[in-house]
Amino acid sequence: MRYKSTGELHMDFHGATNTTIDYIANKYGKEALVDIFHKVGKDVYKSIHEGLKNDDPSELIEHLNYYLTREKADYTLTENEDGFVLDVRKCPAVAHIKSLGLEVSPYFSLQYVEISNALCESTPWQCSTEIFEDGRYRQTFSRRK
Amino acid sequence: MMIPSDHFVRFYNEVFKFLEAKSEKDLRDYWLEISRHQEKHCLELFKTKGLKGMYDYWEHIRIEENCDMTLTLTDDCLKLEMHKCPSLSKVLDNDATPSARYCDHCEAWEAPLLAKAGYYCVYDLIAPDIPKCKMYIYKDKELCEKKRKEIAENNSL
Repeated sequence: MRYKSTGELHMDFHGATNTTIDYIANKYGKEALVDIFHKVGKDVYKSIHEGLKNDDPSELIEHLNYYLTREKADYTLTENEDGFVLDVRKCPAVAHIKSLGLEVSPYFSLQYVEISNALCESTPWQCSTEIFEDGRYRQTFSRRK
Repeated sequence: MMIPSDHFVRFYNEVFKFLEAKSEKDLRDYWLEISRHQEKHCLELFKTKGLKGMYDYWEHIRIEENCDMTLTLTDDCLKLEMHKCPSLSKVLDNDATPSARYCDHCEAWEAPLLAKAGYYCVYDLIAPDIPKCKMYIYKDKELCEKKRKEIAENNSL
């Protein structure tokens, strides 16, 4: 895995992410935020994107398990013959933002959708995302038919 | 996919590049927004407890953000000596290009907040690709300006 952080966690960074998301979307529009998330997906997570291009989702699965476990998310990741399903019942970022007394940006969940879409762009993989309330979401990663 | 808190700075770096491509003002306006956001965490502490409150805040940050940093508190100054900045280190250890302005964000959000608390700061940045720096915070503006001149002279040698 390309980035494997260890040591203490600074969860307040989720508050700064939330502030930034709101700021960019309100000042420059949702499309600007989508562009930034696509840069994150394809440039920052280049090795995951390259893996998917080569039909290898192993780094993506390792990344999701590693960071969701590290942040103590309530989630399951279930592999099946088409790919895998990530079911997040309590997003640690949303939970922490609420614990700070901040309002969660209406654009916050766009990161789940757009970073994943960017990772899958021009690869044999696709992602569909369902967003529910209170930091719950489900992502289905599958090979394109 | 959620941006892990560990990876916030790499997202931050992408935001800087987006804003830098627009204009200097766009970049600085965003840093001011971050400064206003940080007021919720720090301003009251800095106003009421002064340099000791700042020491306590950055000691907490030193631990949570895994900073290799030495804090030195004296009667008139708080010195933060960053031996290895975890934030810039992550931005440099990155498959995306680092923003050449990355280091500037610290002073850009801290100086306005410290000014609101009645304090002044000066940075001694080494280079945008070396994760080391020093920051000095003073209550006395003259002492801060004296340090600023000293740093400028040393860096011009």
